[in-house]
Parts: sequence; C-alpha cells; structure tokens
Amino acid sequence: MNPIESLRLSWRSIRGHKLRSALTTLGIVIGIAAVIAFVTLGASLQAGVIGDISPDDQRNIYGWAAEPDTEGGPLAGAQPVFSQDDLDTVAESDDVDAAYGYMPLSTQALLYEGELTPQSDALVAAGSPYIREESLDEGRQFEMGEREAVINPAVANQFEENVSVGDELTIVLQGGERTDVTVVGITDSSEGLSPFEGFEPSPRVYVPTDPYYTEQGAGMVPGPGGEADENGAGAAAEANATPDDARFLAIVVEAHSAEEADIDRARNSAAAYLESEESDAGALMADAELAITLQTSAELLQQLEDVLDLLQNFIVGIAAISLLVGSIGIANIMLVSVTERTREIGIMKAVGAQNRAVLGLFLAEAVILGVIGAILGTALGLVAGYLGAWYIDLPLVYPLEYVALAIVVGIVVGILSGLYPAWRAARTDPIDALRYE
Amino acid sequence: MARSETAVSLAGVRKTYQLGEPVHALDGVTLDVPRGSYTAIMGPSGSGKSTLMNLVGCLDTPTAGEVVVDGREVSTLDDRERTSLRGTEVGFVFQTFNLMPRLNALENVALPQLFQGVDRETRRDRARTLLERVGLGDRIDHMPNELSGGQRQRVALARALVNEPSIVLADEPSGNLDTETEAEVLDLFAEFHDAGTTMVVVTHERHVAERAERIVHLLDGEIERIEDLGTVGTGNTTPEADRAGEGSGQ
Repeated sequence: MNPIESLRLSWRSIRGHKLRSALTTLGIVIGIAAVIAFVTLGASLQAGVIGDISPDDQRNIYGWAAEPDTEGGPLAGAQPVFSQDDLDTVAESDDVDAAYGYMPLSTQALLYEGELTPQSDALVAAGSPYIREESLDEGRQFEMGEREAVINPAVANQFEENVSVGDELTIVLQGGERTDVTVVGITDSSEGLSPFEGFEPSPRVYVPTDPYYTEQGAGMVPGPGGEADENGAGAAAEANATPDDARFLAIVVEAHSAEEADIDRARNSAAAYLESEESDAGALMADAELAITLQTSAELLQQLEDVLDLLQNFIVGIAAISLLVGSIGIANIMLVSVTERTREIGIMKAVGAQNRAVLGLFLAEAVILGVIGAILGTALGLVAGYLGAWYIDLPLVYPLEYVALAIVVGIVVGILSGLYPAWRAARTDPIDALRYE
Repeated sequence: MARSETAVSLAGVRKTYQLGEPVHALDGVTLDVPRGSYTAIMGPSGSGKSTLMNLVGCLDTPTAGEVVVDGREVSTLDDRERTSLRGTEVGFVFQTFNLMPRLNALENVALPQLFQGVDRETRRDRARTLLERVGLGDRIDHMPNELSGGQRQRVALARALVNEPSIVLADEPSGNLDTETEAEVLDLFAEFHDAGTTMVVVTHERHVAERAERIVHLLDGEIERIEDLGTVGTGNTTPEADRAGEGSGQ
C-alpha cells in the first residue's frame, strides 16, 4: 500500500478524534517545547556571557589564592596574600605588561550633594589599567596615588542630580569613616569590568588601590581563619601597621597580548614568582597551605559555562522524561484506538488489506501524532526561548540543530510508541474482528 | 490453471474447533459453486453456515479437505496469499453492512482497490460507476451514518463488486432491513447475477433463499440436501416496481 495513502487514511482517523488526538500530542508538545526553550535559553546565555568579554580583557590574567579544591567561581575562598612588593616584582618581569592588585571594599553609603544613598560593597580598588580606555564613556582612568574615582552609570544616575566628571563624591566606609573622591571618569556600562565583579549590573565606584586600600587594608593579616582574624596575632599586626603591609585579595596580570603564547608566558612568570618563598604571597601561602589560581576571563567563564551546561543538561533531562511520558501516552491511546477499531480492522482485512498495510496505517497514525507534537513543541519552545531571552535581555541564539533533532525525536517517539499497538492491530484475526461488537 | 468453470469448490471439507472436546463445525462438505450461479445456503443456527462462509471467503482454512477458490487451494496458501486472493476474488456483503464509519460512500467502495494498489483516480471512477449502478449516484459523498440501511447495504454490495471478484458472499444480507428495502437489495443481487456475478447468499429466511437458483440446506455441519429451483429472474417484482423501489431508496 502506498505510504501516502496510509498517511491520508491515518490522518482521517486522527481528525475523527480531534480532542483525544490533541491531548495525546500534548505530552510530546510539552516535552519538546521544554527542551527547545531551555536549549535556546542556554545557548543565548552562553552567547551573552561570552559577548561580555571585551577583546582587551582577553589578555588579563586573574589570580587569587585559596585553599586547594575550593569549588566555585572567581575569588571563591580567596585570601588576601598579595603584597605591593609582589605586585611590583611581577610587573617588572619582561613577560608581563602590568600587574596590579584588586580588592573589593565594603561601604555603607554614597553621599553626593548632601544626598545619601545606602550602598554596600560599592567600592572596588584596583590599578589604573583595570579601567580600560574603551569602556570609558567620559573622562579618563584614575591615577594611582590620587584621590580619584571612576564610577559606572548605575552610580552616576543614582542621585537626584546626575553625577558627572569633575564632581566630588563622598564614600561612607564600613567603619563609618568618610573619604572623598573626585570623579574623573564614567564607564559606559554598569556591568562588571572583570569576572571578579561578576557581570550583573550594580553600582560601583572604582578607585586606585593606593591610597584607598593601602590606608584601609594595612594591618590586615590573612590566614585560614579569614581576613578579619581578631585573635592576638591580628591585633598585634594592626598595632604596628604600615601602608606597605596591605595585602591584596587578588592580582590582575596583564600579558603583552591575547595570544596564547603571551598569556602562558605571563602566567608562568607570575606563578613562578608568586609560588616561590621569595614572594610575600608565597611565604603566606606556604604557611596557610593555599594554592594560587591564575586564569583568563575566558578560562574563568569556561567554568561558568560548565556549570550552565550541567544545569541545562539537568533541565533537558527532566524535559526528556516528559517526552517519555508523552510517548507512553501515544502508545496508550493507540492501544485504545486499536481495540476500538477492531471491527474496522476486520473489515479492512476482509476486503484484502495485508497485515503490513494495517501495520502501516496504525504506525502512520502514531508517527503523525509524534511529528505534530514535535512541530508544535518546537514552535512553542522557540517562542518561549525568544520571550525568555528577551526578558533577561540576552542575544537570541536559535540552536537550529535542535529543531531538526526535535522533529526526528517526534518521528522516533511515534514509531516506538506506535509499534506495539500497530503490531497488535496487524495480527488481529479478521473472523474475530468482524464479530467484535 | 486458468479461470475454471467452478468459482469455488469444496471437497470433503471438515472444520474442527477444539472447545474442550472437538466440535465439528463442518463435517465432510462437498460442494461446487459454478461460475455465474446463484446459490443460497440455509440452515439453523450452529449448522455451520458461518464456518462455510469463512472458508469460502478465504478467511479461514479447513482442518481437512480441500477448498478451491478461483482454481487455487486455500489451505496451501500462506496468510499473505490468502489475503490477496480474498481481496481480488471474493466480495463480502455482511448483515451489519460493515462500512468504514469515517469514510464516505465513494471511499468505502474504493477501499478494496486501495489495498490492491490501484491509483486514486481509477479507484474513484470505478467506485462512482458502481455507486451509480446500485442507484446511489447522488449519495457518493455521504457518510454511512447519513445513509439508510438499504442504502448502506447497496454501498456494501458495490464495495463487494469493485474488484470484479469470482464470487460475492452475502451473509444474511437482508437481516437488518425492512421488507421493502430487502426487496430492493435482493433485486440488485439478481441484477448483478444476471450480469454474470457468482452469488452465494447465506440466510435462514426461505423467501430470501428462494431468489437463488438452488438452496443448499446445512444441518449439523453436513449438507442435508440441495434443492434445485431452476433458473430465476428478478423474482416477483416487475420492472416498474423495480424502478419505484430504487426511487424510494434515494
């Protein structure tokens, strides 16, 4: 029997039970829609995250020290171990363009023109190159040793009157003390400038580590117990603190270029020194049994991507279960259909339908249900993915290979779930079937 | 073997069902159905009528003996070949019509040819011609549930004839019809018989059987006697009544 004729005849049976057929395909629709939506979102998310790494950021190597095997993203379990001496020595190496410290500082509030806005963790102390030229919308980088700051638009727009370059801003630090800064630049985006900050938009004030951190951080003694160790050693260290004692939580090493060879040379040079006993960081790390991590944005994001992939696979796995349930639904409804149409099967066989033709008819019906489910599910999934990406403001990436895969899955699900019912139909005895009421 | 003079022949056919103890539904039946003949098979319930129908219709195989349909011995054929023989050489008309509920009259008539791989246009032309011949030319788009019992049985008859079978098997064809429509359908049977179709009608009603050329009486799985009625025409109906009958069915 011609396959097109089978499809035509099967299509009529499906149309004959519209509601039942619609409910049957629903399982497949939901399963495929979920898979497509999450894969679309995942792909868009990855594209969004990767798109956030600016080309100039690609030559930066981000380093921090933490207990070995600490799980998590950038700065997870980081301890402040890097001294100014360490940074200077690393920067002097021929393989390195620049090296500077990085330290997020706790704040209480920002004060501008008498208007106070509560804001915690708004302060980031780093070296001048941390503010890349192309990420500046206005003004210039801050200079080391000056009471200058670069702010992002989230800070600039936070007050009744927008903060602009040249204005004075007062920062209320954790301890309640106030410090003034002159705004010298405004960045073009409120998203973080490096993986250390994360990429989500948040108000941030970027200041030079000197003087802002060296003043504050002097006297901090790192150790396994945490940076604010209040035992005797900590107190003693604080007593005779000098600005040079400041230890940075992280280090940013700039290679000559984003070339892998340059990156590796800079990384090796920095690692060799920082891990040795010569460096202050090396001495501290040996005592506290810490290990240093030196990675580029891309490498750090790779970890994030791995987590995203894992999450995506997990959700797709759950969606796949829905597909399985959907295919059981098709199998079930096909079995009901075979029983219900026993008499029709008998008629067809009496008038000369071969077993194969009957098998084909029922299989075609299951496959049509599967494919319709897959097509509707794909459409629904793409719409959901599109809305999701639009809602979280991500660049939309449609994983087209998954769309093709979804259709194939629809056919396979149809065949698998229709096989047994169709086989039952095919081997129905026409004599019994014609007598069936 | 080319087209023999005998459409169907049974020789010493026995069919035994194992229902706890063996039950002989048919016990040594020998019968020839000549081409172009009109045979009625009568008998009380349990006499083996249905079993005989199933054997002649290639739906079943005998336990012993030979059933030859269109020159081929049914018990030597496999399931595929039997289905194929049934599709081309046997036309069924059932008491309960057995039309496909979701196909219209035309598609129901064309169905057997669909399974023979005949192309769509040829199928539809053939079905339309046959429906016109049974007086349903203006009902081809109707679904079975939109047709009266008599009309349904005429669709079924058209379907039985679509592949130009060696034999048309009718199982109680008027069992679900009132007297008037029964006459119409039986007139059609006679008409097609006159045109050369071999007819076998199973019935338990004497007046239906009397339309045939001969009546085979079955009893307890054996042929009790064969009653020869000679050549019959269109029965008691005059040509005028014939036309009127067709008109009322429309």
